[in-house]
Amino acid sequence: MNAPTPSASARRLPLASYKLNNTFQAFFRFRQVGDKVIISNYEGEWLALTQDEFRQFAEGAVPEGSPLHARLDEKNFIRASYNVQQAVARVQARKHFLYSGPLLHVMVVTLRCNETCIYCHASRANMDAVHTDMSKETAEKSVDLALSSTSPFITIEFQGGEPLVNFPIVKHIIEYARERNKTIGKQLEFTMVSNLALMDEEKMAYLLENKVQICTSIDGPEKLHNAQRRLPTRDAYQRAVHWIKRINERYGEMGLDTTLYHVEALMTTTKETLPLWKEVVDTYVGLGCKALFLRPVDPFGFADRTRLRIEYPRSAYLEFYRNAVDYIIELNKQGVQILERFASIFLTKILRATDPNFLDVRSPAGSGIGQLAYSYDGNIFTCDEGRMLYAMGEDTFNLGHVDTHGYRDLVGHETVRAMTIASNLEGQPDCVNCAYNPYCGTISATNHKSQGSIFGRMRDNNVCAVHKGIQDYLFEKLAGDDEEVVKIFERWTTVRPRDHFIQEQDAPLDEESGAAPE
Amino acid sequence: MSASSTEIRFAREVYSGEAVDEAVKTFANFASFELTEDEAAWIVRVTPNSPDVARRLIGEFGNYALGLTIQRGGTTTV
Amino acid sequence: MSDTTPESTELPAELVAVDTNAATVTLAVDATIYPLQALYGASYIFIDRCFVFIDRPEEGRFRVVLSPKDAKPEPEALRALVGEFANELLSCAWRHQITQDNRVAIETVTMQAIAGAMGEPSLDDLAAFDFSDEAFDDPLGIAQSWEEKHGKKTPSEPPPADAGDEPRAAAEQPAAEQPAAVSDGAGAAQ
Repeated sequence: MNAPTPSASARRLPLASYKLNNTFQAFFRFRQVGDKVIISNYEGEWLALTQDEFRQFAEGAVPEGSPLHARLDEKNFIRASYNVQQAVARVQARKHFLYSGPLLHVMVVTLRCNETCIYCHASRANMDAVHTDMSKETAEKSVDLALSSTSPFITIEFQGGEPLVNFPIVKHIIEYARERNKTIGKQLEFTMVSNLALMDEEKMAYLLENKVQICTSIDGPEKLHNAQRRLPTRDAYQRAVHWIKRINERYGEMGLDTTLYHVEALMTTTKETLPLWKEVVDTYVGLGCKALFLRPVDPFGFADRTRLRIEYPRSAYLEFYRNAVDYIIELNKQGVQILERFASIFLTKILRATDPNFLDVRSPAGSGIGQLAYSYDGNIFTCDEGRMLYAMGEDTFNLGHVDTHGYRDLVGHETVRAMTIASNLEGQPDCVNCAYNPYCGTISATNHKSQGSIFGRMRDNNVCAVHKGIQDYLFEKLAGDDEEVVKIFERWTTVRPRDHFIQEQDAPLDEESGAAPE
Repeated sequence: MSASSTEIRFAREVYSGEAVDEAVKTFANFASFELTEDEAAWIVRVTPNSPDVARRLIGEFGNYALGLTIQRGGTTTV
Repeated sequence: MSDTTPESTELPAELVAVDTNAATVTLAVDATIYPLQALYGASYIFIDRCFVFIDRPEEGRFRVVLSPKDAKPEPEALRALVGEFANELLSCAWRHQITQDNRVAIETVTMQAIAGAMGEPSLDDLAAFDFSDEAFDDPLGIAQSWEEKHGKKTPSEPPPADAGDEPRAAAEQPAAEQPAAVSDGAGAAQ
């Protein structure tokens, strides 16, 4: 069994005293969380048992006709009545993403960036590095590859650097992709990740009129944000906030439901963020954000000496996470609508028996089979992390180039196959015995960077510690007796489709914003 | 000045002979090699061209033979 | 390889020996617990930062010698290194077992994922297919004509190369590829 949760003060399971009878149970995994025991099966059904109930289950001493027997039977934990058809259907539902190819296509239109962030070096270049701008030819070839995917849903995500720096290419990609898609017929969406500092009314009008979803970065309150995301004018926060408000205002003016359509914000948790959990949440609520993604800093793109300054033990992160989400739950109880994104991803898997297809938290992960990343120079990678490692001198995740490789060369590449195998939790030590296996995922590029192999070692793996710690927290709440929290969690799994962002296949290009093909 | 030679025994059960052979060819510009064998091992006597790089050369040579062996899927001897 | 002298260490002396002079640490590995594939897996992860040598001193036992590539390390660093190697080895051994146990599930998911992503080949893909590639590698000679397979060989034709897992003899290698030092050694080995 895995280590108990940090907060668990409950007595350890006296497993040695159990008189095990392994003919009663169907396949299951278990984990002690607080004073309860979570059991889960292959298809992801789960129950929270008391320690006495778990002993009965393990010893095969559950009386037929008892409430416990009925609960176990309903969730397919009893060998004699195991429903294979039901299990197969549930596994298929959870693994729906295996049936089609990359839907996320990250396009790095430039490495140039106007901001200097303390956790980002390999992903950016100075503003005079015009040679890191994507060319029109590379952009078109990237779009052609993206639209070759077997996935019926395609999201092109503009990244950098700062994509607004190379706005002509952003526009060209949008217009070229829409034109090409008229005959291909994918469900096409565009997303831009921008610090917003170079936004202006004209660019905003173009992006909104062309239904580009806009995401930005907010690292927390003004002082922290401006310290971590540096502009020469020291007003990165003010500029981002100005445009968040302005864009949200425009959504309202366009007649869109602003609880559904608003600027999404992402944060990166550094050492400085940890004591500021309340201020971070308050900042997001104050900006009208409906979601907060408490992402830990990842190991890419900065020098080792910087790591000492911004990294932290994962136990410190988990304490931060618990404090922040406890506070978010309290705000929800007061009627504030905000969710934590990690929790939402895991809870969708736990409570809805489906997979929200978040590419880094699924088994196998989405590298190459769920996403591709196109660098400014035409090199193509399994994922954006692979691109960042390439910038740091590590070419393991380079699949080819837009000039020389076809779509099937990329997704059929041996590196993609290796990563698909490596991120399958059924082949991972620790994960094969972990109760959270059906809901979890590992990231091969991160493992490669931090532990030297695409497999990693979960027992001392930072991503595993974070995933496990978050799920401990969530199951603690789900197994607790606060029904209001469970209702809040269920609400966090509700997916409201944002159809406005889907491109109309035959829509004429917008003339007012000058969106004619270049 | 040439360095003294070092004998390395690559166990047949661990190292692919072709990988050892390939490693010898690859490093031929940096050292002279004598190859012999017995029932248990491929035996390579390495004499680096420069004594200053002997440790590194022998180490990288061994890594190269091991890496190639692994990339080939190991040896079929075991 | 240089001899190692066991020093005071928290790790079992019969398993681990640290030699600070040679900057090496040696780990004895029980082959009945750790399969060679696991040893390969763990070793491969370390060859970018260490010189790794695997020996087979006796039946049922491997010996791994690790020597950091960088400047001469402290004994504590060597112990940490061998500790990390041992953890990686354990992880690889277990994974080796798991992948055998769960082979069907892993292969099924992988095949579906890759097939789902690749889809069926387009006409352009088919037109661009390289039929000269190893798909027509033909070890049994099925694709050869009878004449190619059994026809009389010309006198200048060399004998077929031994496909065994051995260093190729100097005579079997094109002369241009042979480093002089190898020719002598390999010749002596035959």
